[in-house]
Amino acid sequence: MKMKIDEELCTDHGRCAHFAPNVFRLDDDRYNADRGGIVEISAGEEKNATMGLKSCPERAISIVEE
Amino acid sequence: MKDEPITLPLGEPPTKGQMIARFGRDLVTDFDLDDPGFNDKFDETLDFLVRKCPVVHSQVGRGYYLINTQDDVRRSAQDWQTFSSAKGYMPNRPEGMPYLMPEESDPPIHTEWRKVLNPHLSPKVSLSYEQPIRDDVNELIDRFINSGECEFIGEFGALLPGWAFFKNVLGLPIVDLAMLIEGVEEGTFSPDLGTRARHFGNVFAYLEKHLRWRSEQSERDDLIGTILKGVTYDNGEPAPWEHMVSILVDLTFGGIATTTFVMASAIHHLATHPDQRQLLIDNPAMIDNAIEEYARFFPPLVALGRTCTRNVEIAGTEIRAGEFVMLTYAAASRDPRHMEDPGKIDLTRTGIPHSTFGVGWHRCIGSNLARIELSTTIEEWLKRIPEFSVKPGTEPVYVTGYLRSMRKLELVW
Repeated sequence: MKMKIDEELCTDHGRCAHFAPNVFRLDDDRYNADRGGIVEISAGEEKNATMGLKSCPERAISIVEE
Repeated sequence: MKDEPITLPLGEPPTKGQMIARFGRDLVTDFDLDDPGFNDKFDETLDFLVRKCPVVHSQVGRGYYLINTQDDVRRSAQDWQTFSSAKGYMPNRPEGMPYLMPEESDPPIHTEWRKVLNPHLSPKVSLSYEQPIRDDVNELIDRFINSGECEFIGEFGALLPGWAFFKNVLGLPIVDLAMLIEGVEEGTFSPDLGTRARHFGNVFAYLEKHLRWRSEQSERDDLIGTILKGVTYDNGEPAPWEHMVSILVDLTFGGIATTTFVMASAIHHLATHPDQRQLLIDNPAMIDNAIEEYARFFPPLVALGRTCTRNVEIAGTEIRAGEFVMLTYAAASRDPRHMEDPGKIDLTRTGIPHSTFGVGWHRCIGSNLARIELSTTIEEWLKRIPEFSVKPGTEPVYVTGYLRSMRKLELVW
């Protein structure tokens, strides 16, 4: 599973890293560190990552269809 | 706005007759946030709006629109160029009231301030206040636990957020908290606009006095020190003094009354649902997630406003440049297009897509602190007062406008 982080929509709510700290990292300014990029989700982290995705009030995270 | 399909209402749009029979007025063309009927039928009205009336209009005062679906609220909040905050967030704003920075500004002014303010309320910094806030929770509970009853709002809910924010974050004395709480409540809910303005004035004067005093002390790098250090605006000028005062006012408005409502509503829900109370007592790890559901279901900010900078069309309604538009966060958090059974409080619901803390660059700066106030309250309360209920013969008293507040909640154990 892969997830894409929108480059412009993140406004540092930090909910993704709260629910999936092993998937989403925040940069020094507390934005998703992978803004504009794609994050690879390991098998054991899919549940947390999905919770992080759904909890983003900005809908800044989306699943990359493969 | 981004090029996405316009949100369509679920089901048939209501007729005027249906609405008058059910709500006593035509919600689509004659909405009123301050109508006592909205206060009484709060959940029912929000569900009706989000499902059937994506955009409604109010004729009160200078008039305003409400945008109600989650997708439309989110897209509008993210589109600050079209939906400007520079003319304020309150509908029918009292004349002459100074704008509150940074909430009532747009980029680049907004960006400059949030860049320096946000670090003071980040998840990590907020977490550093967890133990002192937990101690405050216990100190407040100590005061009434042996009497077997309390009036939750006055004895706990209105105090804890004030203590957390003034004592821990601002380093301000809490002796004058009652005046500030009254100023914020009356400034928001008083039916008389002149009274609202006078109460806001009291809060401004008090906080300006403190800021003035701090500006005469040696420099510190705390939140107030950061406000005093200021920022430079894009015209090369330093931010004026009035803007600095208004930041402190804005943070105070945001920081005290709002969290009280979520907290009191959560405690009321637990008082009236013993099985849900037992669920959290047996599984304290669920509290973190339960808070999101409580925040979703009990939104203290019903709606915040923007001013249209150009003509736009939302869900088939044309809104002209210059019109005032409210983003109904409370309705957006109950959108059945994005969750199952939104009218039900489900503490096991996960990945909760709510907009209680706002969306876009103006999102709530204090959400992390609020979450800590809520989690420490529920954790300590359930440990110390696991069995409690609403005092027989009483029920909570609510007041609603663009904010929602609980005025009274009597508990016994």
